[in-house]
Amino acid sequence: MSIQILLMELVLMPLVAFVVGLFMVLMLRRIGAKLQRRVGPPMMQPLYDIVKLYGKKTQISHGWMHDIGIIMAVGGYVAAETLLPVPGMDGIADKGGLVTLVYVMMIPSLGLALGVGQCANPNGSIGIARALTAMLAYDVPFVIVVFGVAWYFGTTNLVDIIAIQQAGGVSGWGAIAMPLLAIAGLFALQGMLGKQPFEIYIAPAEIATGPMVEMSGKYLGGLFVMQCFQLYTAGVLYVSLFLGGGENWLFFLIKVFAVVAIPMTVAFLFPRYKTEQMIRLMWKWPVMIGLLGLAFVMH
Amino acid sequence: MKEIDIPIETSAAKRRTNPLARVFDELVRFCRSRSMFMLHYCTGCGAIELPPAMTSRFDMERLGIQPMVTPRQADILLITGYVSIKTLKRVILTYEQMGSPKYVIGICSCTVNGGMYWQSYATAKQLDQYLPVDLYIAGCMPRPEAVLEGMRKLMDRIRSGEADGWEDYYRRYDWYLGNQQHLFGDDWQTPADVIGEASHYDLAGPGTEGEHTRLLQQCQKPLEPQQTFFQIGGSLEKKGESHE
Ligand code: SF4
Repeated sequence: MSIQILLMELVLMPLVAFVVGLFMVLMLRRIGAKLQRRVGPPMMQPLYDIVKLYGKKTQISHGWMHDIGIIMAVGGYVAAETLLPVPGMDGIADKGGLVTLVYVMMIPSLGLALGVGQCANPNGSIGIARALTAMLAYDVPFVIVVFGVAWYFGTTNLVDIIAIQQAGGVSGWGAIAMPLLAIAGLFALQGMLGKQPFEIYIAPAEIATGPMVEMSGKYLGGLFVMQCFQLYTAGVLYVSLFLGGGENWLFFLIKVFAVVAIPMTVAFLFPRYKTEQMIRLMWKWPVMIGLLGLAFVMH
Repeated sequence: MKEIDIPIETSAAKRRTNPLARVFDELVRFCRSRSMFMLHYCTGCGAIELPPAMTSRFDMERLGIQPMVTPRQADILLITGYVSIKTLKRVILTYEQMGSPKYVIGICSCTVNGGMYWQSYATAKQLDQYLPVDLYIAGCMPRPEAVLEGMRKLMDRIRSGEADGWEDYYRRYDWYLGNQQHLFGDDWQTPADVIGEASHYDLAGPGTEGEHTRLLQQCQKPLEPQQTFFQIGGSLEKKGESHE
């Protein structure tokens, strides 16, 4: 691969992720509206929100750590996008592999923790403490799932994992071969997206949106952009591990949107757990299902 | 020695040089009008008409209006009814923390002229003496249709750039501060540095400073860091004090 093509892919992959992510945010809000029998926001609403936030006249910064925190939060996901193969573009996926990706996906939470720490708002600190606790909770099943998949396919290279699944057709998909791990993965996905039963660190009615409490203008805009990337990353990762990646863009997008729609639909039907309930649940059921699935895979 | 002439670029001068500036302005104004995050400070009884306006019957979200929970994130401040003097202090604190451009909507007759609390000693009668109100929705209480109609009006005004109450607050800060001091006493102060903000964003006008801001500067006490108390083993300890 020539260097120009690689550079072009590195620019294109985050851009595509952002655009797809915008539509995912729209889908999230539309699903919520449909379940509550409302009309929901117009098509371009996520874009209007972001442009408006960046177009604010006063931008209140709480210090340079605050600025860097947001850059890390968005940058971590931008780096993650280049490690996720999409149809026609591999970026640096075959050099990075699954383990790097799992590491890179933790950077945004840490960046947010740094940034919010400087806001000195007690709600923000509580929110961050909860976000990191939640990360601890969902990362255990997540790592089990990733390990199981890597064991089954005998590689941590996402490009190879996708190629093996596509060679086997639908019956070669990870979800067919490892149904238990796929279920545990769905649990971890729900926690990773911070959606309702596990929405402990946003909790608008309790701690006033936690990490976002002091964010205004472009800082909040940065977090909105981050949300687009977050939805996209989680969806694409799941599709790559269990649903055979994308043969072409049409099937790829259908799969990714379908996967992301599951946690969103579940989210609007549930209230919120407490922090310790979330940890207990996460470390019990998905871990148990995941370990069982792992036993079948390694057997 | 030769004097060096360093051109100082103000944001007003910068705006004129970009050929696409007007397109961008138009786009941002459009997005502002289509995406309004509101902070509802539900003071009086008028708040009861907001839930139907937000939920499935009237659904404000299709206009891009959604509730937000902190002043930092919000664009519109909804005052839904009478404001007692104690509440008004909180409302002003909240308003000054919001990021500009910000808009204030007074819902209910009580915010227009005191309504049925006209004779009360404890309520502020006219909201727009203390805050720049962009839009009033009169009624006791206004129905959700009226609230939505008002929101649409505000959208039009934002779109055309008429809704500039927030600039007015910076330009005539002295007048607003005077009214606030009249109500709260001479030692009234807020953590936000409005004059500093006005000069930083080129929004200062002839009425930004005056006799009332001078009075503010005389009485101003520096902000003290917040002290937290928490109970450890039955004894009340104070964080931030030195223990030897
Ligand atoms: S105008 Fe009527 S409904 Fe509204 S706050 Fe006043 S008394 Fe209540």
